[in-house]
Amino acid sequence: MARKRRLVVEHPGELNLVAMIDVAFQLLNYFIISSRPLDVLANLDILRPEADDISTKEEEPPQMLEILVHRDGYAIQKRNVGLAELDRQLTRLGGSSRNVSVVIKCTGNSPHAGLVNVLDVCAKVGLTKLAVFSM
Amino acid sequence: MRKREDESLGGALIAMIDVVFQIIIFFVCTANLQDSGRDPRIQLAVAPHAQLVIKKDPREIVVDVDSHGSVTIARTPLSSGQLLHVLRKATAEYGRDVPVIVRADGRASHEMVRQIMDASAAAGIWRIKISALKEKGG
Repeated sequence: MARKRRLVVEHPGELNLVAMIDVAFQLLNYFIISSRPLDVLANLDILRPEADDISTKEEEPPQMLEILVHRDGYAIQKRNVGLAELDRQLTRLGGSSRNVSVVIKCTGNSPHAGLVNVLDVCAKVGLTKLAVFSM
Repeated sequence: MRKREDESLGGALIAMIDVVFQIIIFFVCTANLQDSGRDPRIQLAVAPHAQLVIKKDPREIVVDVDSHGSVTIARTPLSSGQLLHVLRKATAEYGRDVPVIVRADGRASHEMVRQIMDASAAAGIWRIKISALKEKGG
């Protein structure tokens, strides 16, 4: 009789690990399946020319590169290029001097992605003196 | 005596694990909240080499432009006059170095982005940040 009672006795504070781990894995599965990877955001800094600068500026500084972003693509120093060619030229330029001021001119009908692409290439090459003009 | 110690230890452990799970659930649920302010219709252009956003300035003004060219702040559509008013108020309150972040859809025309830049310039803000996707999540 005494032996039987000993078998039945349970400790009230005993931790049921198996059930707990089971629940923990259920929760883990739920969160892994339901979570969506977050987009990683980045910022591209630009400078807008001040109004005073526009009126007084008559001649461009010698180390200035002009990139035009239009609806159909890009032009560097008034020569139409693709993004790959633009990348190549800016990489070559960035390798020689990083003090070059880059003036990015965007036409009104150009897609915003075009400007972002040019800014991205400049960030890649290490050109930091960037100004954006709108046409 | 030994048994009582074990029991109290087990009880404390259960409570601790319970609290740990509550904390985990809290962090998992709130992790996406900072993303909820973003308009899901806006598809940012990808710029893998752009500077990563690590620290956020609490003064920053995020101006959204969707693919159709409508300008919104915190999902509130604004006319160019209203935008200028908001930016002027911000500069009066926080100074001219208040960060303006343009979060424009990659397909939007530059004309709309230009309006934001012009409004910023009219409010005395010359430094503008253009938001892009460094890495696309899913």
